[in-house]
Amino acid sequence: MRMLEQYKQQYLAGNIQFAIVDPNGKVLDCDQHVLPIAPGDSLPDFHPFFECITEISKGAEEEILLNCVHLPGKDSEVIADIHIHRKPEGLLVIIYDLSQHYNNYQAVAQARNESIIKEELIVLKNQELEEREKFKNTFIQNFSHELRNPLGSMLSITNLLGNTPLTSEQRQMIAFLKDSNQNLKLMLEDILSISMIATGRLALDQKVFDFHKFLELIRFTYSAKAEQKGLSFALEIDDKIPERLTGDRLRLYQVLTNLLDNALKYTEEGAIGLRISLNQRRANKVYLRFVVTDTGSGIAPESIPKVFESFSRADAPANVKGTGLGLPIVKGLLALMESEIQLHSSLGKGSEFYFDIALKYPLPSEEAAWLMESPATYTLPPWAKKGKKFKLLIVEDDEGIQTVLFKFLMDTGCFYIDLIYDGARVMEAVIQDQYDLIIMDVDLPNISGKQLTRLIRGLPMDPLKSIPILGLTARAYEQNLAGFRASGMDEVLTKPFENNTLLNTVFTLLK
Amino acid sequence: MQRSRKIVVLGHFGVGKTSLIRRFVEDTFSDNYKVSIGVHITKKVVVLNADDAVTFILWDLEGTDEMEQIRDAYLLGTHGVVFVFDVTRPSTFQNLIRDIEIVRQKIQGPPILVVGNKTDLIDLEKLEQQMLENTIPYDFLTSAKTGNEVEAVFLKLATLLNEDA
Ligand SMILES: Nc1nc2c(ncn2[C@@H]2O[C@H](COP(=O)(O)OP(=O)(O)OP(=O)(O)O)[C@@H](O)[C@H]2O)c(=O)[nH]1
Ligand SMILES: [Mg+2]
Repeated sequence: MRMLEQYKQQYLAGNIQFAIVDPNGKVLDCDQHVLPIAPGDSLPDFHPFFECITEISKGAEEEILLNCVHLPGKDSEVIADIHIHRKPEGLLVIIYDLSQHYNNYQAVAQARNESIIKEELIVLKNQELEEREKFKNTFIQNFSHELRNPLGSMLSITNLLGNTPLTSEQRQMIAFLKDSNQNLKLMLEDILSISMIATGRLALDQKVFDFHKFLELIRFTYSAKAEQKGLSFALEIDDKIPERLTGDRLRLYQVLTNLLDNALKYTEEGAIGLRISLNQRRANKVYLRFVVTDTGSGIAPESIPKVFESFSRADAPANVKGTGLGLPIVKGLLALMESEIQLHSSLGKGSEFYFDIALKYPLPSEEAAWLMESPATYTLPPWAKKGKKFKLLIVEDDEGIQTVLFKFLMDTGCFYIDLIYDGARVMEAVIQDQYDLIIMDVDLPNISGKQLTRLIRGLPMDPLKSIPILGLTARAYEQNLAGFRASGMDEVLTKPFENNTLLNTVFTLLK
Repeated sequence: MQRSRKIVVLGHFGVGKTSLIRRFVEDTFSDNYKVSIGVHITKKVVVLNADDAVTFILWDLEGTDEMEQIRDAYLLGTHGVVFVFDVTRPSTFQNLIRDIEIVRQKIQGPPILVVGNKTDLIDLEKLEQQMLENTIPYDFLTSAKTGNEVEAVFLKLATLLNEDA
């Protein structure tokens, strides 16, 4: 028993200090266990914490506990709980030295706070980066749109110019102009694609298409392109692959042409190739592997991750032109198709890009519908040839496009054409003249194409309210196109378009 | 005898309470973050004019994101409050009005100055705009690092307390 008391004395005494002080904080009596104070000292002079004593002595509380107060100890800082009791003789101050306990707590708090703050700052940083990225993409997207109209005019005017009497020198210049326009158009499409992929505004189409014809087009194009460079092009297809498949033909074409163009670009001698094999066939799906090969310069292993990033082409030689967005677009499009591009490459020997995708093949009923729908290439319908002319109204505020449309359609000899610049005058014209078709820019300055279409569709007179309407837009997003159709337009074309596409569409609508 | 006034400095953790006090009292700054636990008390004489001065007893409290958790015993006899937030971390000011209300319930009467700290880290003009848009009521925007506006906070508090006296 006495042993226990002794231990208690030994351990507790060292950590607890008692003091009796007067209402001004002057020490009347104390021991010296924790703080270096002695009877007669003024506690508020010893440390400003004790200024609170005068406050407490005025207050009503019987006792007060202040936790975790930092005070100067005998040789180092002390972290103590301080208990103050009101007693008849004055105030009893009990100081518990809990430095060890609190130092442990401090270490825990340190780790916790630091990690919470770090995490918050990382999240903020990422948000900021994301916002900047979004801004960049939206900017690029809008900017490329703005470029589409003038480019459309340039393409069409160059075509028109090519059909006028020319000297052979002028003809050469036109050919060059066409080439440059075409390149510009391709680059613009690249930039638009990548920014649309980045902002998630690209949706995939699911349509039946003739896979073998599709590959024939590729064979034709790339045999010619390869030959021009003195290379050969080999296309291998597993003949067990069904003829017709369902998927986004255009996007698949974009993936393959980007890969093949890339192969061409970096190959100076040898061959490029495309190999398509059937991995498996299950339910109504085929699992295909596409492999694009070249015997070009190859890619160093450390550069491989970079080649699929936008705006960071791996050590591009200065003579290689283009946006450098081809492979990033491939990566983005394949991600949309739930696939991933893979790459084997060895420096100096060449590269092999490959990916696997699953495509549905249509049921017989779907296939029949497709065959009926499939548009024939354009020939003037017999009834058009017999000399019947159609009355067209063109509503377009961009003068360049207006001229081009007007001239081209006039040249076919099939149409009488009225031109209107101002959307506000359309209704009047529609009611006065009986048009067979209206071609309308959807982004008119005063009234939108959608509004106009709704107005026309709401007219009480029957032949008028069902005039075919063809919208023209520079904004190619799926959701926009759907909106235009919902407003009552029969068809919407995206600028710039080929003359033939326009004629085909016009005659389809006139039928 | 000189008047002494108890000022408590509080807010979320890591916002720069300790740094502001150190800048004000010792005119120094450190980039290291040592988490404060409990309370540190220091003293500083604020000279208002040739024949008027007041002693501030500055209570630097442990930071917390729950104002309810502040121990009432620490607040006993408080004459003025400095509530600090960190302008680079929205979590420290997005519930500012509510935070201040809770503090106000705990300390009725004394003035509360609201201070946005670490302004050296962001564009001041944009910040002021952002604060305005999000209706964040503040009294001062400071930097303990550069010392900008730090003195002004405490002088303002001294003036307010002087008027009350
Ligand atoms: N750049 C910059 N950093 C600051 C400023 N004020 C404080 N800091 C830094 O922010 C961190 C936290 O500062 P403290 O003063 O310890 O913050 P606190 O509010 O006392 O934190 P707790 O005691 O945990 O509540 C430290 O790394 C400081 O160096 C400032 O004005 N500018
Ligand atoms: Mg601190």
